[in-house]
Amino acid sequence: MMGNDAANSEGPKSPEKQQEVPAGWKANIIAFACHYCAFAAADLAGVMRLSYPSNVKVVRLPCTGKLDHVYLLRAFERGIDGVFVAG
Amino acid sequence: MTKSVPGEEKRRKGAVLVVGSGIGGMQAALDLANSGLLVHMVEDEPSIGGTMARLDKTFPTGDCSMCMISPRMVEASRHPNIKLHTMTRVLRVDGDEGDFTVTVRHRARYVDPARCTGCGACEPECPTKVPNSFNQGLDRRKAIYALFPQAVPNTRAIDAQHCLYLTKKVCRKCEKVCEAKAIRFDDLDMEEEIHVGAVVLSAGLRTYRPELRQEYGYGRLKNVVTSLQFERLLSASGPCGGVVARPSDGAHPRRLAWVQCVGSRNARNANPWCSSVCCMYAAKQAIIAHEHDRNVQSTIFYMELRAFGKDFDKYIDKAKRDAGVVYRRAMIADVDEDPATGNLLVHAVGEDGRMVREEFDMLILSIGFEPHGDAGELARTLGVDTDAYGFVTTSKLAPVATSRLGVYVAGTSQGPKDIPETVIQGSGAAAQVMGLLGDRRGTEVTKVVLPEERDISGEESRVGVIVCHCGTNIAGTVDVARVAEAASHQPGVVHAETIVYACAPDGQQRIRDLVGEKNLNRVVVASCTPRTHAPLFQDTIREVGLNRFLFELADIREQCSWCHMHDNENATRKATEIVNMTVAKTRRLLPVTSASVGVDRNALVLGGGIAGMTAALSLVEQGYGVHLVEAAESLGGLLTKVRRNLEGDDVAAFLAATIARVLENPRITVHLGATIDKIDGFVGNFVTTLTSGQEVRHGAVLVATGGAEYQPVEYGYGDSPQVITQRQLENQLTAEGPRDDATYVMVQCVGSREEPNNYCSRICCQDALKNAIAIKERAPQAKVVVLYRDMRAYGLKEDYYRRARDLGVLFFLFTPENKPRVEALGDKVRVSFPSAVLGREMRVDADWLVLSTGLRPRPDGEELAKKLKLTCNLDGFLLEAHVKLRPVDFPSEGLFLAGLAHAPKNLEETIGQALAAAGRAGALLSHDSLTVSGVISKHNRTICMSCLACVKKCPFGAPFIDSDGRVSHNEVKCTGCGICAGVCPAKAYQVNYFRDDQLLAMIDSVTVMA
Repeated sequence: MMGNDAANSEGPKSPEKQQEVPAGWKANIIAFACHYCAFAAADLAGVMRLSYPSNVKVVRLPCTGKLDHVYLLRAFERGIDGVFVAG
Repeated sequence: MTKSVPGEEKRRKGAVLVVGSGIGGMQAALDLANSGLLVHMVEDEPSIGGTMARLDKTFPTGDCSMCMISPRMVEASRHPNIKLHTMTRVLRVDGDEGDFTVTVRHRARYVDPARCTGCGACEPECPTKVPNSFNQGLDRRKAIYALFPQAVPNTRAIDAQHCLYLTKKVCRKCEKVCEAKAIRFDDLDMEEEIHVGAVVLSAGLRTYRPELRQEYGYGRLKNVVTSLQFERLLSASGPCGGVVARPSDGAHPRRLAWVQCVGSRNARNANPWCSSVCCMYAAKQAIIAHEHDRNVQSTIFYMELRAFGKDFDKYIDKAKRDAGVVYRRAMIADVDEDPATGNLLVHAVGEDGRMVREEFDMLILSIGFEPHGDAGELARTLGVDTDAYGFVTTSKLAPVATSRLGVYVAGTSQGPKDIPETVIQGSGAAAQVMGLLGDRRGTEVTKVVLPEERDISGEESRVGVIVCHCGTNIAGTVDVARVAEAASHQPGVVHAETIVYACAPDGQQRIRDLVGEKNLNRVVVASCTPRTHAPLFQDTIREVGLNRFLFELADIREQCSWCHMHDNENATRKATEIVNMTVAKTRRLLPVTSASVGVDRNALVLGGGIAGMTAALSLVEQGYGVHLVEAAESLGGLLTKVRRNLEGDDVAAFLAATIARVLENPRITVHLGATIDKIDGFVGNFVTTLTSGQEVRHGAVLVATGGAEYQPVEYGYGDSPQVITQRQLENQLTAEGPRDDATYVMVQCVGSREEPNNYCSRICCQDALKNAIAIKERAPQAKVVVLYRDMRAYGLKEDYYRRARDLGVLFFLFTPENKPRVEALGDKVRVSFPSAVLGREMRVDADWLVLSTGLRPRPDGEELAKKLKLTCNLDGFLLEAHVKLRPVDFPSEGLFLAGLAHAPKNLEETIGQALAAAGRAGALLSHDSLTVSGVISKHNRTICMSCLACVKKCPFGAPFIDSDGRVSHNEVKCTGCGICAGVCPAKAYQVNYFRDDQLLAMIDSVTVMA
């Protein structure tokens, strides 16, 4: 923990070079949502006509307990930019 | 009682009328419908849901109210045995118990429910704005409207009083825009006769109109709102989207104050009763407001803090500790407004008797409950008695039975109460109806005959994709033709087309036709949310022989077109992706068969107290056998020590009669001096070994093992014979009567509401009032002093608190930091305590010091919990499945809970809960077999390593160590959550309909590199 704090205070030191973000680039995001709560919340957002970026696709799970690390690895392996788990 | 007079059966109807569709009415309706009775649910408003649908969150768990009630509403609306009659009133009830003829009037809706798809395209076109009653007048709705966004049924209604065409014969804009052709301006009111065997009345409440108390400024000062308005302001689906804005200037208020007991506990311009819930909802609102904004400072002005329910005191502590809520025991004299800022100046009399003035940004009036506006008329129509206040009268010993045989009551129609108490009465009323009509189950419900399922094994996937326009709801934003075109090129897809309204009758017929024409074996509909519409389309394809699980919905309305309006290109792209990923899953779908298991129609009832006996008698009435197991050598439990209740009923005689009824009933097998040694099996099929060695088979378990009386060590109990408990005082008053020359001092909360027993025992205030009144009525010269922290005379018990004060009982407040001091003085006990109001130390020489001692969980409760795999709360009381909506269920199916084992409660509440548990158990036992849900986890034993990861993680105890020492999986207990699949390192579990290959296909689909 101490090490992390120290690193944070000096700013991130990644060995990789920061990539330029191309103009117009949009993150491809997948959301894993529990049928009973987060999926219902995503529906309610629509019912209330709340707006959010269109680059989020929802995969419905019976419960976020069903989330398997394999799903996350597969998504990242295939180049997903972000994963959102809600439940 | 199930009647068996010959010829009588045929006359009695297997149908029930439920008046009111709030959470109490829905609970009764669902329990009854699940037991095979036909339910007619009548509701005056255009949507079911009642008061709970208006709440943002609920105490003491902070759960979202709509998230809890919405699935119930959908379940009620889709239940084949429930007929919803919204916008309907009861006109007449003729006939008798078992055979009523009910005349109802359906008001014209002006929208055809068979055609309306709920798309809402009409609303923006309607030019007429009307104050929105659902949002408590905080904003406006249109003359054509849905009561709230999640309304059920999802059919709009036209407000005839405000519609321009219906009032002035101009407009008809809604009709022009409605592509479903659902508007019916020629709709008429209609009367209908319904034949039922019983009636459940659960009409709900009205809130107090605070305009009547002008000192609070409601209606005059803009930033004074009611608690129900504040509930809507907090709600994410309310008028300001959950970011609280005050009415005067839309500013976000930081200094909030609540005034308690507005319209309650005051006979002048208000109601004399306590509304039971306001103390808790004020704490909840303050906590939620603080969660929304950490800078909110909340003050609650109160008279008495009535946190009498399970875990309620801990919730108040949380409000003080975490949300910084300041509780001020004070009466509000007046409220002024600072005209420059709109802020409010509250003038109050503090505990020390001095006036204080404080400034707030917003003032919230904690308004109380009244009987529903139609309650009086409804009671006359139904022919049931009401009390002087308009609440339906019931005996405390039969809490859901009204004065008219065959008519039962649940919820706030009977008196102020909270959600779980309402749900309990709903199930309790259902239990009584099932007792009356148990043998008429299945006589009025229609069985749907379906064709054989087609065997698709060995077939290639032939997916049909239907993309719905939903009028302009989807098609206005998403290019549906392009989406269908893209889908048609996906692997496995043999046909794709668009339909204007997929869910309308003609749309469904088109889907049925397509399955035949194109020889489809899997179907995707891209339209709205699967949460409400998947069951409809699953039924549609099942009707033409496809397994229900060969269907999936792609949600391109709620999760696409409605969120990305005016961004048509991106919305179309997203819809395409959603449909394609759904197709990827669907082509891998497999038929799911649901197994079923038989049900043993006996119940095991643990505990022979009043809860266990009441439940046992109800179950027998409903037609089941009961094994009643009691650890002591005789029946009766703690109630054997009580003589009368607060209301004066002869409890001892009632108990003796109940014991006699149990002992003489041939279908109740009583096992005395026994407890359970071991329990095996699962819902419908338990095998239990008793400590007597006897083995019992049963389909359900009802835990009513009771509690224990606290044995005090405080205030010199045991040292002086003059220090006694309320229970001993009651015996003394019965045997010898009170003495005019005696002084009785009562001390409340002995052993309660303090660590390590920081909970309210709920019954002690009632006990003290009961004995205090008994003394003063019979010996008016006797002195009675009650030393209390908060007199928790909730609901209609407030009458007795007032009666005690009128009789001259003296009440003095004390705090836990400054408790009364006691010293023995010959044959007297000297009690000293400070009085804040009088500003001096008081001293009373008492002949009797009476300790109001509370209740404890049973000392062996934890051991029992372990055997049954149940959990207890911090105080050692058993934990129910859900504190609001499943108050008598356990998380494990087939197990139910009633009485003091759940939490401290009085006799009426115990009887009500016992009936409820019997109703829930009865609805379960009514089935010949139980169908296991299709969406469950399937265990592959051949690759399982028996590492026990699943056994440890499953919340429902479905995986178990089998007789061969390896893991097996009990599918009956499985709820399909898939936690086992998530933790299994060998991938030995696959959840039906959510198999790994299906979900990975979705991920692959959405990660296709462009």
